Order: sequence, then C-alpha cells, then structure tokens
Amino acid sequence: MADLTFDPDEHGELFSAYLDGQLSPDEVTVVSELLDGDTQAIQEFLSLRNIRTKLRLLPEFEVPAALLPDGHLGDRLSAYLDGELVTLEHRRVTKHIVDCADCRVELQELDRARIAVRSLPGVETTMTTEIPATPVPHRRRRIIAGGIGAAAAAALLVGLAVGGSDDPVFILNDLATRHIARASAEPGFAILPAAIEVAAP
Amino acid sequence: MTDEFTPTWEDVAHRYGRKIYNFAYRLTGNPDDAADLVQEVLLRVRKGLPSYEPGSFEGWLWRITRNAFLDGIRKKKRRPESALPDGDHHALGSSPSPDEVLASIRLSDNVQAALLKLPYEFREAVVLCDVVGLSYDEIAEAADVPVGTVRSRIHRGRKLLRGMLTWPI
Repeated sequence: MADLTFDPDEHGELFSAYLDGQLSPDEVTVVSELLDGDTQAIQEFLSLRNIRTKLRLLPEFEVPAALLPDGHLGDRLSAYLDGELVTLEHRRVTKHIVDCADCRVELQELDRARIAVRSLPGVETTMTTEIPATPVPHRRRRIIAGGIGAAAAAALLVGLAVGGSDDPVFILNDLATRHIARASAEPGFAILPAAIEVAAP
Repeated sequence: MTDEFTPTWEDVAHRYGRKIYNFAYRLTGNPDDAADLVQEVLLRVRKGLPSYEPGSFEGWLWRITRNAFLDGIRKKKRRPESALPDGDHHALGSSPSPDEVLASIRLSDNVQAALLKLPYEFREAVVLCDVVGLSYDEIAEAADVPVGTVRSRIHRGRKLLRGMLTWPI
C-alpha cells in the first residue's frame, strides 16, 4: 500500500463515503494512506468536505403547522417561557413559533400573564384561619370564593399596571374573568380558607 | 431501522413531516410542491399503515415519499417557480448579525439553485443523504438501487455541485 497513488476518479468516491462514515475498515485504511502527505489528495478531500458541509448547513424549514394534525404547541409554550425545554425541543419550538402566527400570539399573551403574576407584590397574612366547627353552607362558600376571586382579579390588574406592560388590561381582564368563572363553577375551588367571614348579602 | 411496533399516522406526521417537507423543498425549490407532497405522503401512509408489516419503517416511508414525489412530477411536469420561500430567512439560528443573515441567504440561494440543476438521481441521493440524513443503506432501499450506486451518485452529485459553486476552502 506504500506506493498507492491518488487518482481523483478512482479514489474521490472513497473520500465522499469516508466523510459520510460509510466505509469498511479496509477502505478507511486506504483513505488514510492516500491522505498521508499527498497534497492533491488532501486538496480533493478538503474540497469534498467543504461542499458536504455547505449542503448540511442549508437552513431547515418547519413544515407548515396546518399540514399536521393539531400542529400547535399547547402546553409546551409555557414550558418554553420557563426555560424548561431541552435544547432540541427548544429549537423545534422556536422554529415553530417563527412560522406560526397563532402560536406567536399565544406566546405573547402567556408571557404578559406570566410577567403580571410574577410582578404581584408579596402579601403578609394577618388574618386568623381557624377551621370552623360546623361546615360553612355551600351557598355562602361560593359567595366567599366569588368575592375573593374578584379581589384577586383586582390585585392582578393592579399588579400588571405597576409592571408597565404594553397592553395589560385586555390580558388581565381575560384572566380575571376566567378566574372568577372557575371559582364560581367549582365548589371545591377556594383561594382562601372558608373560615374567613364575609358578611352575607 | 427495525421497529417492533407500527406507529399511528399522527406519529408519522409529527416525527417525519418536517423531513418530508425539507426533502421535497430541496428537490423542487418550491414550498407549494413541498406542502403538497407532505399531504400526499401522509394520505398514503394513513392508507398503507393497516397493511404495513413491522420491519424497516424508514425504508417503507421513504419509498412512499419518493414514489409520491415522482408521481407528482409526472402529473405536473413543470419547473420550479422560485428559488427560496420567504420562510428561508427565518430558519438561520439564534440572533445572527444582519451580515451573517445576508451571507447565509446568498449561500443557501446559490446551493439551492445548483441543486436544482443536478440530474434527478444525483439530486435525490444528495438530498436524502445531506438534507434528510439517511444512511447509504436506507437510501438504497428507498430508491431501490444497490448501495454502490448510491455511493457513486452522492459523490458525483457533490462533484457537480462543486463545479457550479465557487467559494474558498
């Protein structure tokens, strides 16, 4: 093998397959010997490697979401905002967001809501939260929950206004509405312990 | 790749939709044709999955993709209308400088234009290898040719591209 002479037509194909990791061990040995000090072989090898690299660096397109079943991102958007996606998934989601106007809008809304919640001031509880001896009537608990829900909604609005977001009222109004609706609709959903006394209407 | 189970067509859509789209896009330079191919392939996959026998799923899928693509060409018989879609400018990575973006666009424009000038067999082999990322064995199975033919086509395709493109090594 010592007098192996490089021939572009004969050996160039070996170089391409070597770059793709598709050679047998014997063929790898041949390539190594060809590249050992032969300037023409090295030049050919580098040139092929260069074109292969350029091909592999071509930008990759995201398939239009409308072509896929339920192509949107769903709860991955929140995980994306919180930095909880691993690198590959993060890249994939980023690409989808670039291509999908619906997910871009949803991401912006989630981000504003996230900022609003995180900018709320801390609250120190001074109220007594003893559990009553007798269960609070269901009707009254719903009123309490609704009242607290409204208070929470107001707090959210204040918090967002302090945060200085561009268009906070729409988002927070929506959040507050959903929050109150949930508090009213779910008997088991209460923000504060039921022992807090609120005057019945 | 030998799979022990058969995926649903939704799995196939999410897992391979992007690869199929990029395969078609790089072969045609046309985003509409690429979208048409994704739809056609997913339709064929949905119809074909009930009769699919677990084995080399990728080989099966890419054979379907290739056949759908060639059927589409036979139907349309028209040349690509544009070299790159607007979306190409967005998929370049995180926060590149404007100069880097422009350079990448120019480069990908040039490479795409050169790809479209390759004879189909060479273009297909190069795209399946360098864009889709299949092995020579998988390409041979998809194209129904010997592995040695795949190796030759990839090399000749790259050499032709090199002749059409000029840049410093």
